[in-house]
Amino acid sequence: MKIITITINGKEIKLEKAVTVLEAARSAGIKIPTLCYHEQLERYGGCRLCLVEVEKMPRLQTACTLMVTDGMVVRTETEQIADVRRGILEFLLINHPLDCPYCDKAGECDLQDLVERYGPAKGRFKEKKRKVKESLADSAIVRNMERCIMCTRCVRMCEGKQGASAIAVIDRGGHSHIEPFSGGKFDCEYCGNCVSVCPVGAIMSRLHRHSYRPWQVKEQHETVCPYCGVGCTVVAQVRDDVIMRVIPKLGSAVNNGMLCSRGRFGYEFVGSKDRLTVPLIRKNGMLTEATWEEAITLVAKKLSDIKVTFSSQAIAGISSLRCTNEDNYVFQKFMRAAVGTNNIDTTARTGFAGAQGFIENIFGQGATANIISGLANSDTVLVIGGDPTTVNPILGLQIRACARRNGNVLTIGNVEGLRNFNPSKLLPKLQTEVTLLEGIVTALREKKGLPGSNAALEAKIKDITISADEVTRKTGVAETEFLTFVDLLADAATFSLVIGKDIVQSSGGSYKLLLLSAINYLANGRIYLLSERANEQGALDMGCAPDILPGYRPVAYPEFRKKCENVWHTELSDKPGLNLFEMVDAAEQGRLKAVYVMGENPLCNIPDSGRVETAFKKLDFLVVQDIFLTETAKLANVVLPALSWAEKDGTFTNMERRIQRVRKAVHREGMDDWKIIAEISKNMGYNMDYKGAEDVFHEAAKVSPLLRGLTYEDIENGDNIYPYKGEPLRDAMEEIQADRSARSVKSGTLYLKIERPLFHSGTMSTKAPALINIYPEAVARIGAGTAQALSLTEGDVVRVKTKTGSLALFVAIEKNDDNLSVKISNNFEGKSAFRLTDCNLDPVTKAPCLDGIEITIEKVTA
Amino acid sequence: MFNETSIKEIEEIRTKYPNSRAALLPVLYVAQREFGWLSPEAYEAVADLLNVPKATARGVGTFYAMYKQKPMGRHLIQLCTNVSCMILGAEKLVDFLKSKYGIEPGGMSPDGRFSLVIMECIGACGTAPAMLVNDNFYENLDKKNLEEILGKYQ
Amino acid sequence: MEAALLKNIDNPNAADILEYKKIGGYKGLAKALEMEPQQIIDEVKRAGLRGRGGAGFPVAMKWTFASADPKFPKYLLCNADEGEPGTFKDRPLLEKNPHMLIEGMAISGHALKAEYGYIYLRGEYPAAKHILNKAIKQAYDNNLLGENILGKGITFHLAVHQGAGAYICGEETALIESLEGDKGQPRIKPPFPVNIGVFSKPTVVNNVETLSNLPYIMEIGGEAYAKIGTPDCPGPKIFCVSGHVEKPGVYELPMGTKLRDIIYTHCGGIKGGKKLKAVIPGGISTPVLPPDKIDCPMDFVNMPKHGSMLGSGAVIVMDESVCLVKVCHRALKFFEHESCGKCTPCREGTGWLRAILGRIEEGHGAEGDIDLLLSVAGNMMGKTFCPLGDGAACVVQNFIKHFRPEFEEHIKAKKCTVTG
Ligand SMILES: Cc1cc2nc3c(=O)[nH]c(=O)nc-3n(C[C@H](O)[C@H](O)[C@H](O)COP(=O)(O)O)c2cc1C
Ligand code: SF4
Ligand code: FES
Repeated sequence: MKIITITINGKEIKLEKAVTVLEAARSAGIKIPTLCYHEQLERYGGCRLCLVEVEKMPRLQTACTLMVTDGMVVRTETEQIADVRRGILEFLLINHPLDCPYCDKAGECDLQDLVERYGPAKGRFKEKKRKVKESLADSAIVRNMERCIMCTRCVRMCEGKQGASAIAVIDRGGHSHIEPFSGGKFDCEYCGNCVSVCPVGAIMSRLHRHSYRPWQVKEQHETVCPYCGVGCTVVAQVRDDVIMRVIPKLGSAVNNGMLCSRGRFGYEFVGSKDRLTVPLIRKNGMLTEATWEEAITLVAKKLSDIKVTFSSQAIAGISSLRCTNEDNYVFQKFMRAAVGTNNIDTTARTGFAGAQGFIENIFGQGATANIISGLANSDTVLVIGGDPTTVNPILGLQIRACARRNGNVLTIGNVEGLRNFNPSKLLPKLQTEVTLLEGIVTALREKKGLPGSNAALEAKIKDITISADEVTRKTGVAETEFLTFVDLLADAATFSLVIGKDIVQSSGGSYKLLLLSAINYLANGRIYLLSERANEQGALDMGCAPDILPGYRPVAYPEFRKKCENVWHTELSDKPGLNLFEMVDAAEQGRLKAVYVMGENPLCNIPDSGRVETAFKKLDFLVVQDIFLTETAKLANVVLPALSWAEKDGTFTNMERRIQRVRKAVHREGMDDWKIIAEISKNMGYNMDYKGAEDVFHEAAKVSPLLRGLTYEDIENGDNIYPYKGEPLRDAMEEIQADRSARSVKSGTLYLKIERPLFHSGTMSTKAPALINIYPEAVARIGAGTAQALSLTEGDVVRVKTKTGSLALFVAIEKNDDNLSVKISNNFEGKSAFRLTDCNLDPVTKAPCLDGIEITIEKVTA
Repeated sequence: MFNETSIKEIEEIRTKYPNSRAALLPVLYVAQREFGWLSPEAYEAVADLLNVPKATARGVGTFYAMYKQKPMGRHLIQLCTNVSCMILGAEKLVDFLKSKYGIEPGGMSPDGRFSLVIMECIGACGTAPAMLVNDNFYENLDKKNLEEILGKYQ
Repeated sequence: MEAALLKNIDNPNAADILEYKKIGGYKGLAKALEMEPQQIIDEVKRAGLRGRGGAGFPVAMKWTFASADPKFPKYLLCNADEGEPGTFKDRPLLEKNPHMLIEGMAISGHALKAEYGYIYLRGEYPAAKHILNKAIKQAYDNNLLGENILGKGITFHLAVHQGAGAYICGEETALIESLEGDKGQPRIKPPFPVNIGVFSKPTVVNNVETLSNLPYIMEIGGEAYAKIGTPDCPGPKIFCVSGHVEKPGVYELPMGTKLRDIIYTHCGGIKGGKKLKAVIPGGISTPVLPPDKIDCPMDFVNMPKHGSMLGSGAVIVMDESVCLVKVCHRALKFFEHESCGKCTPCREGTGWLRAILGRIEEGHGAEGDIDLLLSVAGNMMGKTFCPLGDGAACVVQNFIKHFRPEFEEHIKAKKCTVTG
């Protein structure tokens, strides 16, 4: 490798590879002013601020676009250059409103800073300035396009990085301006990444409009986004103990400067006036305010009584995929050591837990823990079972990036978020996915042969034979399309498979997972299992499951229990506890007397939630510890106010199994979840003394082989992905079982589909005003054809009914829908799609099957 | 949505290019012909057909002067007023169109018969002043022959 | 000199393949198909052919770069965007002699081993589109385009891509963007189109007139061709003359013909015997010349020495009746309208210059406005992304340089005082 030597302002710089003059200068600490340049975006060279002199080149050159060559001599700060920059700034200011006193950007505005440095405009422009009104069409974003300097950073971000292409430069020349399609409302993914890159005050977040000046922000806390399993790094900027805004960080490992709508605009739930502030105790049927002492003693006493009267097994706990590892660790320890039962589970049971267990059983533990950014570098990505761009938006971006790099993106089913990227897609008829997948397995096996490295898996798939012809006949997928699809899979050198919940939560789900595992095996790929909640992985890792201890150690094994017993100083039950669904059954049948819910809303998040409600109403004692008075909390005997993600320290583990620090950004009266549990535990006679979250982590690192020896210091930078110093992960263990019984469907019937909206994921997002303004409530999405047949128009109210339940919802009409299904948005309290579904479980993964549910629609006349 | 002839034409256009995006300009022409101008619906139809984001399609469409962003009269007068035409009297023709037919540059005659667009050089400088009416060139214009020519377009 | 490019132009059926064949059409292609690609490039090099689009870049050199790039497929694009005001030289070639262009492109395609060609035709030439499409179809039907041309195993596909009214699309990288379905905004160079051009493949962009020269070069050979015109800029050149001359129109003359001769000998002098006031020699972006500077040989090398440029060979002649402030203002309106908006100085500067000029023309000019014009133009010159912005600045600078008193008079009198 030849070293390139260049001279900038007399300083010699040696470079190992060709970079731009600007990058070379920056690496040597030489600042060249820029406006249109942004390190995340494609080179542009439009603003002309970075013009520099280069010897032997007659014209001035833009440092942001010019690549260095050996021996190049550059000057960046001559008198001539300063004049040029002044001239450019004057051009930028002639149409600029110069409303800095009113502008929220003042203080962190690149234009302001540059004018400050190079001198004021001389005011030689006598003509009328361009006028554009401030746009408040959107709830999350405010636009003052009069201030726009046409650097096009927002457009390049929106098109080239986010892939939403919601905005564009309209017109040309001096009339150029940036607009969304409608001219008014953005109507986009509201990622706000345009906000991040706008160097002036043209596009800004509306959430903190006119509420503070950037220099008044004294505190910045780097933490992890509370929303989904991707675990983006976010920085919470705080003033007077209030989060003023949440921004991404350039260079962070997971999201490198990008955020999604929830991450950026969803933080306001923290300061919501609906937050619970004091404990509530049900007295005479009414939830009444109480002191902490009252509440804690009452809970401790009630649980102890039930334990004595009925047994430990009459008590169950549901912990939280939104709470930290520390909270979850303490919670399961409390259930096991203080209450004495393995009746502990989470809503990860509704899909993620079972699917991950299934895949790990085939490929070994950690099989689904793959680096998210690896997707962009794959040459082939197959997506099935959901839209990654809404469930895990930042992961979705990596798939878009793969497409942009000319990778092959394949989908089974429609993936709306990838539409502009022209994926190769197969659209099998309803309930024929199994045949399609079997066909793919057959074809791949015939093309590539069995690799011979996984005998157990091969035994299961060696006899599957579905010809291309049969695939076409049964699934309706054209043979040529099928064959091209298979060719692309077979030719993949670096293959990734992305599996969404719709596959896991379907009849025959375990068999489909087996087939997908086989495809992954034959194509030598890696699996990404989408995860909707920020600490879904962590809660499982912490042992919040009825059959495993921290670190996935089965409770049934004495040596694993021993390890915990030694640290916890008590004896543990060897009997696996009730899982989430068994808890509901047991409550319904009166076997379960008390349930302790920490940071979860089972009435909204467990399928057939009507039944969950009935069952929970039969309990003798229900404790709900949460930040809001959820549907479930409203049924509780005791409600304990918890601290939110922004108010506590701890860790989250994302879907890559990256352990990251959650850092306290603001203060609030109250206790961490783990602390509340520890207090109750103490009152029940089992002492848990932790000085802080770090102390809890420290103990968890002692019992869990996954965290062995880890400290907060080790994970400070967010680059720890386990196994870290841990023992080797276990290999495939049990015999592979799968269930292929799929529900049948008939024509002329509508079926329910669950929409997992980009903007909402439950309690937190629905308490975030910006997100609620974007997507105010649950809707029934129906295809244009269906709508026409039922003479429905957008905004009509309909009653949707299934065998299990019914909901009144607004109609939203989809122009490209299939007209075979009705999509009901998930995650809205009181209107949860789970009200409409039954809860039949896949016998292997124990995930509920939510497909094949007939649904009817009736217009409600006002 | 496009009618069948247009869909056929678009399919044929697409065969000329290695990807569908490259067909955007010619397809916008088809849309303009069919919708009369590039209305939001026209952009959406084009975007859907070519899998191009609709905002991008509109961004591209508005860049080019010959795509119309508002409804047009039945006949389109494209009159050049660039230097060669100007020094030979094109401006007088603009005034004439205004006084005689009530058409402002960039506007439409009140009866919807003509729209007028001022052009930057249409390559007829040797026979200036010149204009296009719809797809036809007319050169060496003066008020008299202008009136005659326009008479042919009702 | 016998016309080579405008040959047969008065024949109303010239665009028909049979008429074209009658005058020896497609013989050059037949000859070229017998040659190795490199031999054709060598022949063009011997001819010394320079691009006729405005910059005068040596054609053989561009072809050599593209042909050396290992990537395939390669593309040949014909620049038929002819947008430079005053220019109407490509239009007769497109409308009357389309087969000469098609033949030229097929020859060039073979030389470049390019299998695909597009003619990027400006939207303002609807008639040319139909004529070209018809001619292309005839050529396909006669096995002069498509696969296995004339049975020689060579493939060359050709299609017309219509622009939609954007001068900047004449700039080759903007043209490529536009062909790819994007806004016509210039790209960063390097990489140059010869390496990464349309659809990321090696691409050669040549002007209509340039490519139309190929059959002639094939016919008479590079050496003979090089003897026409001036040694540095050989060959015939089409000049298009407009404005106040007795006989405006297109003239095919040897490169290096003197501007004065074009105006006075070929075009019959100033209309109505009036006095010459100013000439723009190569399209509106080239520096205007006063009457005492028109003894310059019109070619790419000599014109810069005489303070202007050959550009597209579009001569605009203005007599004493013309107000130059008005012309300058109109020119800036053009630049403002055509600025693509990508770079700051051009996007903001063209409008500003236009506004000041408008003010002066309407009689609201202020003292100091001329210096302001020069200062703003100076802030643009050499700082824009592409030459369009330079062109705008250059117009203002040169009008003031040669005709400053007229601007001053305008400001002082608060109106136009030009008569004549
Ligand atoms: C602003 C601008 C406009 C141009 N317009 C045209 C044009 O209309 N026609 C043309 O052939 N070349 C035009 N050019 C030159 C082209 O960029 C390019 O040099 C030319 O097509 C190359 O062909 P040639 O080598 O055969 O001349 C323009 C250049 C610039 C910078
Ligand atoms: S000089 Fe700049 S704004 Fe003007 S046309 Fe070129 S790139 Fe576009
Ligand atoms: S930063 Fe280089 S041109 Fe804008």
